[in-house]
Amino acid sequence: MSTVVAIGADAGSTTTKLVGISHDGVIVWETIEPTEPRMREQLERLLATIPGSGGSAGPTVPVVATGYGRNLVDTKHRRVTEITCHATGVYRSIRSSGTLIDIGGQDSKVIVIDAAGGVVNFAMNDKCAAGTGRFLEVVAARMRESVQDFAALALSSPEEVAISNTCTVFAESEMVSLLAQGHAIESISRGLHRALARRVASLARSAGAVAPLMMSGGGAHNVALRALLENELGAAIRLPAKPQLMGAYGAALLALRRAAA
Amino acid sequence: MDSTPTRTQVIAEHKRSGGRIAAVFPVHYSRALFRAFNILPVEVWGGGRTGNAGDAHLQAYTCSVVRGVLSAHLTGMLRDAELYCVPHTCDSLQGLGSLFLDLVDPGRPVIPIYLPRDEGPAAVAFMASELRAIYDRLAELTGSRPSDADLQRAIDRECEADSVLAAMLELQGRLALPARAFYAAARSREYLPAEQFAAAGRRLLETTVRREEPAGVPILLSGIVPEPEEILDQLDAAGASIVADDMACCGRRNYAMSTNSDPFGRMAEQILGGPPDSTRGVAVERRLAHLLSLASARRVRAAVFYEVKFCEPEAFYLPQLRRGLEEAGIKTLALEVDISERPSHQIATRIEALLETLA
Amino acid sequence: MSLANQLRYHLNVSIVGNSVLRLQRWQGEWQMSRPGSWQNAHIAPPVAVAPRLKELISRHYLKGQYAHLGRKVAWVTSGAPVEFLVALGYFVLYPENHAAVCGIRRMSESLCTAAEDAGYSPDLCSYARTDIGSVLTGKTPVGKVPRPDVLVCCTNICQTVLFWYRVLAHHFNVPLIVIDTPFLYTEATERAVAYVKAQLEDAVIVAERVAGRSLGFDKLKQATRYSRQACELWMKIMECGQHRPAPITAFDEFFHMAPIVEMRGEAFTVDYYAALLAELEQRKANNIGAVTVESKRLLWDNLPVWHRVRWLSEMLAERQVALVASTYTNAWGELAHLVDPERPMESAATVYLHPILNRGTGHKLKTMRRMVDDYQADGVILHSDRSCKPYSIGQIGQRNRLADELGAPALLLEADHNDPRAFSNEQVATRLSAFLELLEK
Repeated sequence: MSTVVAIGADAGSTTTKLVGISHDGVIVWETIEPTEPRMREQLERLLATIPGSGGSAGPTVPVVATGYGRNLVDTKHRRVTEITCHATGVYRSIRSSGTLIDIGGQDSKVIVIDAAGGVVNFAMNDKCAAGTGRFLEVVAARMRESVQDFAALALSSPEEVAISNTCTVFAESEMVSLLAQGHAIESISRGLHRALARRVASLARSAGAVAPLMMSGGGAHNVALRALLENELGAAIRLPAKPQLMGAYGAALLALRRAAA
Repeated sequence: MDSTPTRTQVIAEHKRSGGRIAAVFPVHYSRALFRAFNILPVEVWGGGRTGNAGDAHLQAYTCSVVRGVLSAHLTGMLRDAELYCVPHTCDSLQGLGSLFLDLVDPGRPVIPIYLPRDEGPAAVAFMASELRAIYDRLAELTGSRPSDADLQRAIDRECEADSVLAAMLELQGRLALPARAFYAAARSREYLPAEQFAAAGRRLLETTVRREEPAGVPILLSGIVPEPEEILDQLDAAGASIVADDMACCGRRNYAMSTNSDPFGRMAEQILGGPPDSTRGVAVERRLAHLLSLASARRVRAAVFYEVKFCEPEAFYLPQLRRGLEEAGIKTLALEVDISERPSHQIATRIEALLETLA
Repeated sequence: MSLANQLRYHLNVSIVGNSVLRLQRWQGEWQMSRPGSWQNAHIAPPVAVAPRLKELISRHYLKGQYAHLGRKVAWVTSGAPVEFLVALGYFVLYPENHAAVCGIRRMSESLCTAAEDAGYSPDLCSYARTDIGSVLTGKTPVGKVPRPDVLVCCTNICQTVLFWYRVLAHHFNVPLIVIDTPFLYTEATERAVAYVKAQLEDAVIVAERVAGRSLGFDKLKQATRYSRQACELWMKIMECGQHRPAPITAFDEFFHMAPIVEMRGEAFTVDYYAALLAELEQRKANNIGAVTVESKRLLWDNLPVWHRVRWLSEMLAERQVALVASTYTNAWGELAHLVDPERPMESAATVYLHPILNRGTGHKLKTMRRMVDDYQADGVILHSDRSCKPYSIGQIGQRNRLADELGAPALLLEADHNDPRAFSNEQVATRLSAFLELLEK
């Protein structure tokens, strides 16, 4: 295994991801775990586990932290927002300008990337949970399904219930009433995924989205959401190899860049 | 401005000297008119820990400024005020004024002020007549009738304070001050008597180190009121320097000068001749031209719109203003806030990401 | 208008269009007259003049489609003085009305989304978002909306329209006439009337310049006369709701109000309302209720929920509840007595200062109290409209006072007049049912 020369740490609201890269920018080490309430301790522990990089004294190679908990790492490390990190990671993976959609647990982001990999514009969802991964988590849990299974149900349905309300609270009560009216769970699931896809598509259009579309973050694993987003925005979505690691990967690339500078 | 007295001190001092206090809500009114009656207008913008008592009378889709103002009233935070003045700033403040007059006991006289949405001679004449009617109300309440000369003197004092504020705004990005400290100084205009503000402002301009260039990335700040103030700290921390201001509480009240010999006409001309403001319903082109000229004069690289959620006057202009600025090569960022809450983590991320794109 | 265009306009509108619409109306009338054509057991069949309403509205939008052949087009707010525009020969379009049509035809959601895509906040008035979305995409359920030559915005219903029309003025790059009507916290002052009158005079100058002709005083008086007659008839139509059982409900009025809003000042509007009134008088005489079995009567406050009018009306009718009046439709009738055709400009200044939306929350409470009495209402539904702050702020206090004073149930119903995404069928159904149970006690 090549040596880790730079590290990216993405402390998200749901999962914490760490990536170590070699001098040519290839991922040589990675780890992902659910985010713990004591984020600072968790980050320190994970940073100490990186092979050949300092042990408990912390990494000796450059680190860039990103994500919700980025300010919790030692101040000697650089912090960069997940916007820049996701853009950097995805640009390096796909090597294309375009529009990156990142649907996370708390936030959805749309990032427009130029031909040099720079961020031209970005937009994020408003305060409420509608339009984020949280929305699907809540309704899937209500249906006693995992998010993945719930998405599979959506794709299996030729029918789709029209759900206009993406307020998490309203949608939950609307869903219960649709079930009571005898609608199939498959078509309700499809309707809910459609509602979320519309919301994100609207965010993308407001940010001035340009083709091709790319996706990163946990939401990229949701097959139904991906399919419906392609349908709403009328363009195919390209995925990097490891969508969920793109924030951490981008952070590592930025750390490497700084080390080289 | 370490020696600047606090709001509470100013109120106590003014009352001790035999003056009265008026609580005034956003945005436009004439300070001079009140001061001529020895009434100190103290502005209430709804921020801070006002609680949510206002929810008993206002729906959740009313903005946090108006709900905060009503909460402040209901929890006794405005008890020093002997009267309320409610400018007709928007549909929600209109509603608040009307609630006080009809449905919620204000416990003191309430004076609404209508703000004409036009700037022609008919509008100036109406505004002057509105101020004259308020003069009559205040005369009735206080038993005094200041002369035209008294009014003109009061206006002169306010003009003096306005010119100090204008000088502060001109140098905003070059004063070696944290953003929060700058706004604390500029916004002390909301409660300090004009002569005290002018003196404190001059002192600040004399004693603060001036830089040749702004320390950070020069940005323009637009919106209603810079609260919660943590956002100012976040801008500083992210490496931004606010060099131009288009806030309703500050830059948009950098009023015009007028030499009208009729004091009411003079006050009206000053307000209606002020910088383009959403709450006055000014044409989009004029607001855009104003922002572009501020931006080019101060070499602004990004404009941050610091918007109160549910503020219709602001939200309608936003898309066209942003497009116009972006076309001129100025990045824009819109932040939506509830002024009574701490800013979300996401807001810090948006600010930092904006600065990263400018790096 | 060139001769060729004049001919084309008349061919399309007066000859072909009118004939087709007349034919459609006859078809409608014939279908309605067939036995068994009406299936709802809880709601009486529509009035026989209903197909005429459809004809009027379709013809209005048809004229709009061909307006480019030579008529100048004004876009105006629903509370704006329109008589001088009619007298100057303008085709007058009401974006608010157009937005409501989009709401009824279930297009408002996609149009609102289009506006949001362009950066307009989802917290803005849903009428404004619907229309901005329509302007940006060109999509409309009415065929084609003519581009404005001038915009006329009167702030007597809200300040929202001012910002909205600023957006339109910037987009279309056409003159905007603002008629700023000082809000009446208490009573109108002479200086406020003088201010509005001065603005009306300025407005006429701009409108004349755009139209390329001058305003004929006789035509203005004529349009004002029609306006007054239509408003008086409209008031009488609504007052039919005082009869038990009510021959017309506020749900019906939401549709029949289209002409009084967008075709005020026209002779055919007066004719239509005269016919409607005659039919309602007949229904009164025969004791035909709009709701087949009328047990309870309610007053409605605020705008309709356009995307759910039918759903709400059927739900109430099934529970034998008639919505006998609304403060909203009332607004276009209650000022009729102030309109003076002999002094059109002066009286317009007064009339257009006095809509209920330009007056205080106390005035609205007083109006509701009076209407509860006049219409013998058993309760009140106050639609708390997320999209209309001036109409909604004050409703919490108004609801409490009505309930305390009248001992009648009053419900605050959270909804949005044109954005279905801010509406939860389930929550509304539960709240309404609980409210109706209270009423039945």
